[in-house]
Amino acid sequence: MANGQNGLAPAYGLTAAVAVLDSELGRVTMLSSPSALTLESHSIELGTDLAATRVSADRKTLFALSRGVQPQRTPHDERPQLLLIDGQSTLQATRSYTLTEPMNQLVLDPKNEWAVVYGSAGVVVNLNELVLVDLAQTGSEALSFKTLLSFGGSPKRFTFTAPLAVPGGAPRRFLIVERDSDLVLIDLSRPDRDAVTVPLPSTDRGEAASSAQVVYDADTASIAVRVTGTTSVFMLQLAAPAQDGQAYSVVTNLVDVGGLPTAIDFVHNTQGLRLVALVGSSAVLVDPDTATTQSVQMPAAFTGIRRITDELNPAAMPAADGDVALLYGPNITKIAYFNLSGAPGALFRSIEPYEIGVSVKNVIDVPGEAYFDHKILETPNQQFYVLDLHTRESAPMKTNGALTLEVAPDGARVWAYNPGQSGFASVDFAKLHPVSLIAERQVSNVFDIEASSGQRTAIALHLAPGTNVGIGATVLDALSPSTANARFYSGLELGGLK
Amino acid sequence: MRARLGLLPALVGAFLLVAASVHAEPLAPHQPYVQGSLGLRASKVADAGYDPFSDSDELLQVSVGLGGTLFRHHSWSLAAVGFWDYGQKSSSARGSLTSLDVHRLSVGPELRYHLLPRLYFFAHALPAFAHSSASLDDGVLQVARYARHWSYGLDGAAGAAFEVYGATSGAIRPRVWAIAEGGYGYLGSTPLEMSPDPGQGPQRPSSVDLGTLSLAGPYLRVSAAVGF
Repeated sequence: MANGQNGLAPAYGLTAAVAVLDSELGRVTMLSSPSALTLESHSIELGTDLAATRVSADRKTLFALSRGVQPQRTPHDERPQLLLIDGQSTLQATRSYTLTEPMNQLVLDPKNEWAVVYGSAGVVVNLNELVLVDLAQTGSEALSFKTLLSFGGSPKRFTFTAPLAVPGGAPRRFLIVERDSDLVLIDLSRPDRDAVTVPLPSTDRGEAASSAQVVYDADTASIAVRVTGTTSVFMLQLAAPAQDGQAYSVVTNLVDVGGLPTAIDFVHNTQGLRLVALVGSSAVLVDPDTATTQSVQMPAAFTGIRRITDELNPAAMPAADGDVALLYGPNITKIAYFNLSGAPGALFRSIEPYEIGVSVKNVIDVPGEAYFDHKILETPNQQFYVLDLHTRESAPMKTNGALTLEVAPDGARVWAYNPGQSGFASVDFAKLHPVSLIAERQVSNVFDIEASSGQRTAIALHLAPGTNVGIGATVLDALSPSTANARFYSGLELGGLK
Repeated sequence: MRARLGLLPALVGAFLLVAASVHAEPLAPHQPYVQGSLGLRASKVADAGYDPFSDSDELLQVSVGLGGTLFRHHSWSLAAVGFWDYGQKSSSARGSLTSLDVHRLSVGPELRYHLLPRLYFFAHALPAFAHSSASLDDGVLQVARYARHWSYGLDGAAGAAFEVYGATSGAIRPRVWAIAEGGYGYLGSTPLEMSPDPGQGPQRPSSVDLGTLSLAGPYLRVSAAVGF
């Protein structure tokens, strides 16, 4: 899922570069490392009046949405555009899409196939107009303009699905747009087709409700929506066309799970697909076909659920064996493994709790192949846990300040730092050995990039506070970080560097 | 037009008459044995390397000169002259304060011709040595970066000097001259790799490369001189 919140971060980590926004000059300064402990910089012009920047999920591309020159006075005035910058090899602008109207919001598809821009800034604004950008195409052919029929409200969140196996057609991807009181389904295989708008049910008090969470199952083309203020989960089934002219039909259902759910997800047990809803201290399993429910008592009122089946065994067949999910919550000092591979009658012993002493507000995935079975448990306070899902061992890491975590794109280590402080640390997943480092200036961000030589380079950014535009960096060997041989770079905003 | 053409020979004739009458005054006392000057040198520096240190292309320097006549022959004389020029400019680059200090020393021969006892023209070609110190207050580094270099070149100029005060004749006495010259000052380029002084700032700092700086360009110097 992606949200379309506005805003520009000062710096972005890409696979082989760090992109530092230089809004004053309308450019981005790309910092790359040709070899160990070295840094190069060059600048790339961004469009005029930058509105939003995002990094693709694979960190290979930086997207920059600009409004262009407004108002337009001559035919040569720069148009609004979406600029793509390669952050892996060329480190140059590779493509741009010219837009007809200035837009403010940018949402990226995690699979890097689509981008959505919306939220125009003209005299008359159509809040429900989306521009879908097919990233496989170039030029104006890539753009699809879509106005969503509205019962009131505007886009809030977007979910790009995996290919859904809709009966009567080839599996295809959908874009689910959550609005104030409805959902919109856009078939990404034919974005020119009419979108399907599905009103959300009202709350249990009869008031207007909004969606709090959307999940889907690709194999059965099922979608479930957690709706605010109701004990029911809103189920949608994409089915074969019910009448001529339809590409598919939508069958909806409401399933009461007995309380206000705090999280939902689709899982597979030995009997098939189930929707699990966390309700208080119970996990309620819903059969999407029959709407029957089965409840299991949890050892605590977990409010978060994350499927970890693939991390435990990437080759597993979830439908046959059953999923495993991690349960957690920001107010509970436990985590639990919810194993759905047992017999239906053994559901009561399917949840194994582990006391870890701290609560978990977020579960961070580890990319790459070496430590895909590790999760980082982010706590509301100054700690984080590295959890090995296979051994179920957790390694608590305590920090002496507020915490920002940056997982290296190669998935071999995590960097922890507190913006504005000079201290930062690296934790290698192989040994779980933290290396604490003290930079000679305050650190604003830490990034881990691949050098041209193939080595890993850590860049601790020092951005001058306030209106000063100074850019500096401490450069370290990411695999063996030490300030004893780190190099200090500054004046990067000036363009010259040796 | 015909009336104007007729006026020109008359003016030339009158000027030669005045010159001949002034030449009746002895020339030697007006050919300074030693001359010290104080003035201003304004250079135009078009090099892009100068931009971080100045909002304009002008470089204004205080100019101190010293000269001594080596040889005289009628209206001609040959002197050895030298100048020390000093100027400082400051500006900002992307919010960081910058400054440039320039010392320029030029020494060489100067050929003079006295058209009148109180007026002489001169030309000189002076080998020049300049020391520039460029600095950049690095907000992230929190210390200043410097690039200090010597450069070499040649100042070629011509000008005129007019005696505004002094006895018409007699023994050697102080005489005050107003001097103006214009020319071109060439100096080689120097690199602007800005680095903090050793021991200053973080360990192993990189340098910031702002390109090269050439202070070559046309210049104008005006000065007041006291000669004996």
